[in-house]
Amino acid sequence: MDKLKENQIIEDLLPQKFGKLGRIWVASLIAVCALGAFAYGRQLYYGLEVTAMRDYVSWGIYISNFVFFVAISLVGSLITAVLRLTNVKWSTPLTRIAEIIAVSAITFASLIIIVDMGRPERFYNLFLHGRLQSPIIWDVIVITTYFFISLLLLYFPLLPDLKILIAFKERNGKWLQKLYVFLGSYWKDKHAQFKITDKAINILAIAIIPVAFSIHTVTSWLFATTYRPGWDSTNFGAYFISGAFLVGAGGVVVAMYIFRKHYKLEKYITDDHFDRMGKVLVMLALLYLYFNVNEFLVPAFKMKKSEEEHLLGLFTGEFAPIFWFAIFTAMFIPIFILLFKKGRKPLPAFIAGVLVVVGSWFKRFLIVTPTLLHPFLPMHDVPANYHHYIPTWEEWAIAGGSLAGALLVITFFARIFPIIPIHETILETESQENEKHF
Amino acid sequence: MKNIFKISLLLFGLIPTFSNAQAIEKKTLVLGVKYYNDNNISQHLVIQAKSKVDGKFQKIGNIPVKVYINNENDKNNFIGTGTTSERGEFLLLIPATAKTAWTKSANQSFVAISAESKLYEEARGEIAITKAKIKMDTADGKIVNAKLFVLTDSIWKPTAGVEMVLTVKRLDGNLNVNETATYTTDTAGAVTAEFKRENLPGDNKGNLIIVANVIDNDAYGNIIAETIVPWGKPLVYTTNYNHRSLFARRGHSPFWLEFLAYGIIAAVWVVIIYLVLLIKKIVKLGLE
Amino acid sequence: MKTNQNSRRDFLATSLIASASLVGCATKNPFTAEELPDVKPSGEMVKLLSVDGEIIEVDKAFLKPVPELPAVMNTEAREGITGKKFVMVIDLSRCKSVKKCQTACNHMHHIHPGQNWIKVYPMQEAEHTAPYWQPTTCMHCDEPPCVKVCPVDATFKRKDGIVLIDSDRCIGCRFCMAACPYSTRVFNWEQPVLEKEIAEKPYSCETSVPQKKGTVGKCDFCPDMVRQGNLPHCVSACPNGVFMFGDLLEDTVTNGAETFRFSDLIKDKAGYRLMEDLGTKPSVYYLPPVNRNFPFEKEKGQ
Repeated sequence: MDKLKENQIIEDLLPQKFGKLGRIWVASLIAVCALGAFAYGRQLYYGLEVTAMRDYVSWGIYISNFVFFVAISLVGSLITAVLRLTNVKWSTPLTRIAEIIAVSAITFASLIIIVDMGRPERFYNLFLHGRLQSPIIWDVIVITTYFFISLLLLYFPLLPDLKILIAFKERNGKWLQKLYVFLGSYWKDKHAQFKITDKAINILAIAIIPVAFSIHTVTSWLFATTYRPGWDSTNFGAYFISGAFLVGAGGVVVAMYIFRKHYKLEKYITDDHFDRMGKVLVMLALLYLYFNVNEFLVPAFKMKKSEEEHLLGLFTGEFAPIFWFAIFTAMFIPIFILLFKKGRKPLPAFIAGVLVVVGSWFKRFLIVTPTLLHPFLPMHDVPANYHHYIPTWEEWAIAGGSLAGALLVITFFARIFPIIPIHETILETESQENEKHF
Repeated sequence: MKNIFKISLLLFGLIPTFSNAQAIEKKTLVLGVKYYNDNNISQHLVIQAKSKVDGKFQKIGNIPVKVYINNENDKNNFIGTGTTSERGEFLLLIPATAKTAWTKSANQSFVAISAESKLYEEARGEIAITKAKIKMDTADGKIVNAKLFVLTDSIWKPTAGVEMVLTVKRLDGNLNVNETATYTTDTAGAVTAEFKRENLPGDNKGNLIIVANVIDNDAYGNIIAETIVPWGKPLVYTTNYNHRSLFARRGHSPFWLEFLAYGIIAAVWVVIIYLVLLIKKIVKLGLE
Repeated sequence: MKTNQNSRRDFLATSLIASASLVGCATKNPFTAEELPDVKPSGEMVKLLSVDGEIIEVDKAFLKPVPELPAVMNTEAREGITGKKFVMVIDLSRCKSVKKCQTACNHMHHIHPGQNWIKVYPMQEAEHTAPYWQPTTCMHCDEPPCVKVCPVDATFKRKDGIVLIDSDRCIGCRFCMAACPYSTRVFNWEQPVLEKEIAEKPYSCETSVPQKKGTVGKCDFCPDMVRQGNLPHCVSACPNGVFMFGDLLEDTVTNGAETFRFSDLIKDKAGYRLMEDLGTKPSVYYLPPVNRNFPFEKEKGQ
């Protein structure tokens, strides 16, 4: 491959300064975060009273947001590990997008769980007095582990790119240059170094799969280890993981489209990528649909008394609009769009991705709240407002702030590091050209 | 004592209730006195303070009360003070100093007085009792005998027609020795009952404490006598407090869980540490 | 009927003194420590008067109840009382939802207005089954699902069967509330409104007072009252004797006015526990609402 072409790739993929649109985007995200921080300040001062959570609905949109974050973070393992191990080459440009989504989502998952705590300042009790029997401790352990593994998986492939970045000293400016040097000055493109990173990435690709499965399975167990109708299900781990893969893949499609559009990456994130990701999405949506049928049809067939109110509430009752909205936007409509070749073009695929993500968020809300409103003993001897749950503005602001925060992390990451691996893209192009020659 | 209480209740009912505007008006306080003879060894009084709050009698705490034997006119009759607890009462053991007054007569009375305070008017409660005691013994066939004696003209005489309960001592309330709730003393002052609580758990030797009890008698107050009998089932105490289980405390999780959890954690973190070491290796290669 | 109950309480207190006296009978020296291994003589003697006019000297340590029981240490409160296993029996045939239990409980534990540790449910299982009132306390399960999930040992199961909460430990994750199938746990969503005097008390697991912002609260079976030889507040407050409390190892429960042999009561009246199928093994037993003392009148009950 000639040097010219290589330079072109590097030029195309180097991180770029924020344009006007970029600055507006960052400013608005910071504004949303600031509002969330303000709301959290109020919550710290007044207590969880500022939320609409009460004794029956003791978990609200914070927890559904937490589940959503954990779910979307699973995509790191899907794109990087599963596709890598199955020798799928086309996913190379998507790996870093997936990994940064994973890292930022898992970070905000742990933050939002602290937000949900009544006494966040006692967080250290988890380490001082942690009980191994509690699924929360399991969750703390696996989330920490997953965070570190995801960081490593982000870091190893970044090393060759850091060397490329360091070369552009003028362009980088003082601070970024310092950061690049700190992170990767020791990378010399040596053959032995490549051998080690290849090995490390292979180990990570294998190791991350069980850990990723654990984070979401354990998260599902926070619900499934209780007796409550709607949570008391042996299907829950698989149901959560399939849903997580779906929302994660949807998130990647959305990110792909935005990065491609904004950084003009049409050459690297091609229509073909959307086509393939579209097919993956359809498969995952069908898988999730399968587990949904299991999750709802089986108990609905029996209609046990304890489950009846809960299920009817979802199918035809007060939660029916959200329920059917979530089912259609997260599964049926995306499947319908993406089944057609034209539907897998970038824009329609992007729309399907957005639908999946939005639908999935509401799906998480439905997993948490309606169950809590249908306890075994009827709701009684509590103030009238304990019988309902309509999140307050503080809750929306904090939940929105956390989502904006996660997007902000991704945005800054794309500002600092190449969102598409430069080195791997060069290698990929090389090997493609070699193939052509033969 | 009950009568005093009833009368004061009645009187109190006649007093018109005051509106909030006249809140400065002090409230009437009712003092109740109860007498206890504990196993013929010690004696004590329980003093209770009550007042009407929102139309209902409530126990009043934090009321200082002075207690006298016979009457409050003689300084020598003073036997102690106390302050009512949160539950509106306190317990006063009758001290040795009351001996002179106590031995004077078979009939005694105790007077409780609380001084006027910011919230309450002065109050006075009184109880009059005749000295009495119960003697207990047991017979073959798990029979309990209890005899009530009342001091009459310096002689302890058996007394008929007094209600008594015979119970097994338990933590919160005593269990009747059989299905009969109360017994009445016969002309010999005696009651007899058969213990029918077969296999009732006792202490670790199977011992039970049988209690004979006259409760809130208008003439004699409360009289208690106790005796130990080996009629119970020995208690074998076991607890799963130190067992390993999912609901046990920290450090007491089941072994399978510990092996599983620590095994998984160790396996994964060994891999992570190995990967960090690989980074170190890359650094070393880079610096060569 | 109020007086009756009071006399009962006094009696309870007295019998403790009497127990010390009894040992005296058996061993000549009235208040020897031999049979009271938990109590060490203080050396300070008190002179008392017997009914015969004799003067007796008693070691202060053996006078029970001591006027002010010192609050138990946290470690002691976590372990519980050895040799006891507390149970409650709730007789549904006696309940007409007077809710004195609830009022007394709320008052004594300074519970946030609107919230209740004791709830009195109007129950009717199906269209053609009988309606009845069902008071619920914490079930103090022997295999408590709430304790299983607590990440920090803030809620724990004691030797004597009581499940308590350490509000100084609780992180407020509310997993226990989700895990409890009986919905007995409540959360302090805001700073509890307490008198200064109460709020400044150091928290005790046994009194559950003062409740703290951002932590979970629930019925505690009043172990502080039990230690003093008194019945839990709900038991002594109920005018109809619905609640009976006692020690399973003594096989006795009492509502203050009446005392029953626990095993006989459960056998004769076909006692049962709530949601037995969940395997939580509650310490609270219910007697079915048969031969009721009161008709079910919803308006009056509410």
